[in-house]
Amino acid sequence: MNEVMSWEDWLKGRRWRRELGNRVAPEVIQRPRSSSDLRLRKLFNGQRGLPFTPTEKL
Amino acid sequence: MNAEKARAAVADISADTDPTRKAAKLASLCSALFRARGVELVVVGGSAIELLTEGAYTSGDLDLCRLSPASLSLRERQEIMGGLGAQGGPRSWQVAGLFVDLLGPLETLARTPLRKLQGAYGVVQVVQPEELLVERVLVSVYPQPHPPARECAKKLAAVALGGAMEFDWEEVRRLASRPEYGILAACKALVREVANELKTQSPLDSHE
Repeated sequence: MNEVMSWEDWLKGRRWRRELGNRVAPEVIQRPRSSSDLRLRKLFNGQRGLPFTPTEKL
Repeated sequence: MNAEKARAAVADISADTDPTRKAAKLASLCSALFRARGVELVVVGGSAIELLTEGAYTSGDLDLCRLSPASLSLRERQEIMGGLGAQGGPRSWQVAGLFVDLLGPLETLARTPLRKLQGAYGVVQVVQPEELLVERVLVSVYPQPHPPARECAKKLAAVALGGAMEFDWEEVRRLASRPEYGILAACKALVREVANELKTQSPLDSHE
C-alpha cells in the first residue's frame, strides 16, 4: 500500500479495473450534468469530457 | 524541470486523446512542478476515482488538493501554470485540453496511506480509496438517494473486492462508523450487494 505503482503497471491494470466495475454498474457512469457544465461543454464540443476509451482498447 | 521539458510535456498531454491517461499525465506534471516549490498535491474526487477504477466516471476536469500546510501565493501559482501555457486561474486553469482545479487543503479522515503512482513526469498522489468509498456511499444515500454516486461506489467496491487495488476494509469500517459519516449500515449493504454480484464474500460482514 505504501509502494509507488509504476506507470507500466497502472497502464496494464486498466482493462482489469474497467471490467470489474462493468460487472456491477453500467460501463459509463459519468454524471449527466454538474456546476462545471458551461466550461466543459464549451471545451469538449457539447460533451462533458473526451470520449472514454472502449474497454477492448484498454 | 526546465521550460523546454515542460513544453514537451504539455505537447504530449495535449495530443493524448484517452481522458484517463491524459488526466494522469497532467496530474503528474502539475505535481512535479508544485513539488519543486515545496507543495505536495493530491488527486481527489472523481479524478481520483477514475485513476483508481477506470470507471468512466470523470468529466474533463482534474481536481487537486494541497497536502502540505505550505501554500503558494497566487502569483507563484500563475507562474507555474503560466509556464505550461495555461489559461485562467488562480484556482482553475485550462491547460493541455483539460481543466485543472486547485481546491484547497486536503480533507481526509483516513489513516491509510495516500496511493502513489509513478506518473510520466513525477509521482502522483491519490486520496485514499477507503475514504472515497465511504464518501460516495454517504452521497449516495444522504440527504436523498443519488444513483450516480451509488454506481460510482459500486465500481470502487468492485475494483477493491476483485483485488485490482490494495484496500483496507477495516479502515472502511472505521471511517463509516465515525460520526462524520455514520453510514456503516449503508456501506455494508452496498459492499454486500457488490460482493454477491461478484460471487464473493463481503469483508465487512466477516466479523458477524
